[in-house]
Amino acid sequence: MRIAAVVGVLALLVGILLVGAFGLFPLGDSPDWEKLARAYGAENGVAAVVLGTRLYDTLLEVMVFALAMVGVRYTLTPLSRWKEPVVPERGVVREMADLLLPVVIVFSLYLAASGHLGPGGGFPAGAIAGSGLLLLAMAKGIERLSRELHEGTLELLEYGAIGGLLVLGVASGLFGVRGSGLLVLFNLLIGIEVTVGTWVVLHYFGSHRGEI
Amino acid sequence: MTAAVAGIAGYFVLGILGFLVPWARALSAGALLVGTVAYALWFPGFPTGYLGLGDWAIPWRGDILAASFWGLSLFLHLILLVHQEGGRPQHYYALVTLLFGTVLSTVLSQDIFNLYVSLELTSLIAFLLVGIEGKPAQVWASLKYLILTSCGMIFYLLGVGFVYAETETLSLVRLSSSAPAMAPGLRLGIALLLTGAAAKGGVFFYALWLPVAHGYAPAPVSALLSSLVVKMGIVALARISAAFGIGEVLVALGLVTGFLGILHMFWEKKLKVFLAYSTMSQLGYVLLGFGLGAWEGAVAYAVAHGLFKALLFLAAGEAEREAKSHLIPRHVGRISGETRALLGLGALAIMGVPPLAGYAAKGLITAVAPPWVKGVLIALSLGTAASFARLLVLPLGEGPKFEIRHPALWVLVAAVAGTGIWGLVSFPGIALPRALLTALLVSAAGITMGWPFSRLSARLPRWHLEEALLALLFASLALLLFQFLSG
Amino acid sequence: MTASLSAATLGIVLVALGFGALLLRRSLIWKLLGLNVASGGAILFLVALSHRPGARPPLMGYPEGVPSADPLPQALVLTAIVIHFATLALSLAYAISLTERLHTQETGRLEEAAEEEMER
Repeated sequence: MRIAAVVGVLALLVGILLVGAFGLFPLGDSPDWEKLARAYGAENGVAAVVLGTRLYDTLLEVMVFALAMVGVRYTLTPLSRWKEPVVPERGVVREMADLLLPVVIVFSLYLAASGHLGPGGGFPAGAIAGSGLLLLAMAKGIERLSRELHEGTLELLEYGAIGGLLVLGVASGLFGVRGSGLLVLFNLLIGIEVTVGTWVVLHYFGSHRGEI
Repeated sequence: MTAAVAGIAGYFVLGILGFLVPWARALSAGALLVGTVAYALWFPGFPTGYLGLGDWAIPWRGDILAASFWGLSLFLHLILLVHQEGGRPQHYYALVTLLFGTVLSTVLSQDIFNLYVSLELTSLIAFLLVGIEGKPAQVWASLKYLILTSCGMIFYLLGVGFVYAETETLSLVRLSSSAPAMAPGLRLGIALLLTGAAAKGGVFFYALWLPVAHGYAPAPVSALLSSLVVKMGIVALARISAAFGIGEVLVALGLVTGFLGILHMFWEKKLKVFLAYSTMSQLGYVLLGFGLGAWEGAVAYAVAHGLFKALLFLAAGEAEREAKSHLIPRHVGRISGETRALLGLGALAIMGVPPLAGYAAKGLITAVAPPWVKGVLIALSLGTAASFARLLVLPLGEGPKFEIRHPALWVLVAAVAGTGIWGLVSFPGIALPRALLTALLVSAAGITMGWPFSRLSARLPRWHLEEALLALLFASLALLLFQFLSG
Repeated sequence: MTASLSAATLGIVLVALGFGALLLRRSLIWKLLGLNVASGGAILFLVALSHRPGARPPLMGYPEGVPSADPLPQALVLTAIVIHFATLALSLAYAISLTERLHTQETGRLEEAAEEEMER
């Protein structure tokens, strides 16, 4: 009975949405975005929209991200931690981590710095740097890594990055400050924010893994 | 517009700083100051502005809706800062500051995707606030809230796609001025947008997370959620329907949520869940007002509801603390005189008893309503009064004596009475003796009708996660079919 | 059937599949996975709207006359992905917290436990 209701309502939904979607295609020509991109000093249309015209959306979204990480932190902190530290992987992972980590960091910096010119930007850069931290955590053990990265400094970096974004965003929105340099700065700040956020997820989920 | 941007940025920066330093409450007060100055600067003249360059810039427009919500949220911020009720963690104040900042920005926005991001930010802060004490029931309520609204927002995102593909713009200003041809894709897109906004906005069948999220959260958080956060979904509904000229959908949604909310109130025993269902039913008035084009009446009702529902929830929090129970029957005889008086005044305001704020707002909606809607509105008022008979058991009962301990709540009472009297003075059309007498009679009749039911405690079907989600899917399907076939 | 139309179709089907998992599975983790699949579907649908037949990516430096993909849906998707990631992280944290304290992941029992706690 329940399954029939679920399948029925979902089939009807898919049907009506598909009929609507078929009517949308073929789509018209893309709007001209190159003038807009030049006005913001970008060569990448997506970067011009995300960090230029619709910068305010991006600011709000970065705040969503940061607050979700705040939520993860305050939800998991009161729970008991996993008692035994992870045994660091030996051998292959360790060796490869040493080898790969510099490449990962440089690549992430490259993506952040060239995001306004080509594919890339702050979010992928931050996600890649965060996965670099994951690699390091697997090689070193998450407890040891979290001792080495100071919680307070990370928090300062996280909130500092949002504060910087807000101040720069207001400067850009109200006083018309524009240019490629500003876009690079935005991408770097977003990159820092996302890296710290990814580390928070990694660290808290890792140290509160448990058994039922 | 510069002033508004600066005020919102001030709120955000001070809110973020609140996570880092130990005096978040003082920072929150600073944000309130910045916001008030910004309000005083942008309010005259209702400016319009664009954030960004080009065709895709985000339009902002000050109007009566935005101005009223700014006033309401600044006032509630003041009340929450002054109303002391036990220690709150430091990040509570930071989150509250950010929430008010987001509300201030949401009501100005005229862009469907900016509304999406703003709604996500308001509800994300709301999730954190609901679960802030970390009790399992609250965490579960918050998770349910998260899952159901995320499903709604998936529909909204699809709707953004449909509307953009049909019209190549996201700006509601442009959409309303260009009046695009209502192709099937566009009609579906609008229905999807309305579904998402209704899921955020506490409309019955779309938002059945509301009873638990508002009922289980800490009292000040419930007050904030009921008076501001769900209204953001309603604001989105109003903006979208105004841009496309489809008020009849809002009328239908308003009728459904108005009556079903009341039905659930008759059987609910938990004080705050009872108030949460009442929020769902009260949103019916606001939606009816927006749907009928009574823009001022709807805004006035939203503000009035924000004031008296905040009062009711804050008083309910005191009652629960004094009686150490969440159930109405166990409160009888255990709560202080002050709390009983506050609950009673809130109940009178919500029923629409004349000098208080509820009456004036209802009158403004009734004034423009066609005759059949007038009958519906009277039925809704009767239902509200009848269901609130359950709560009137408390003020009329015995208990410890009267003593003022929460001056902030009395400021709120003064605001409820003051806005009501101001409404009566400035709109003489609603202050006719006949209308006043009708309102009193309706309330009295409702209470008499509801009195026999006030001890009833049958169990209505509970809206568990699966049922709530299924209800959301069926309701959105109904809306989609209606929009699709109505062309 | 063009590439963008099939991607849009797939997006809508994924939304429905995600909702199906959300409705029919009893375990919380499965439900959250279903939610994630559904939001992935919505994102796929939006990206499909950006594609044009034979289009170049929205970057400068291509020869004149080649049609370009629409950058706006891609930008919207970038925002939506981050929001979905953030809510997923938060919901998983809530799931961990609930599992640790109520020792179950079945939503029906979680609901009952919550109600019991508030019946006092």
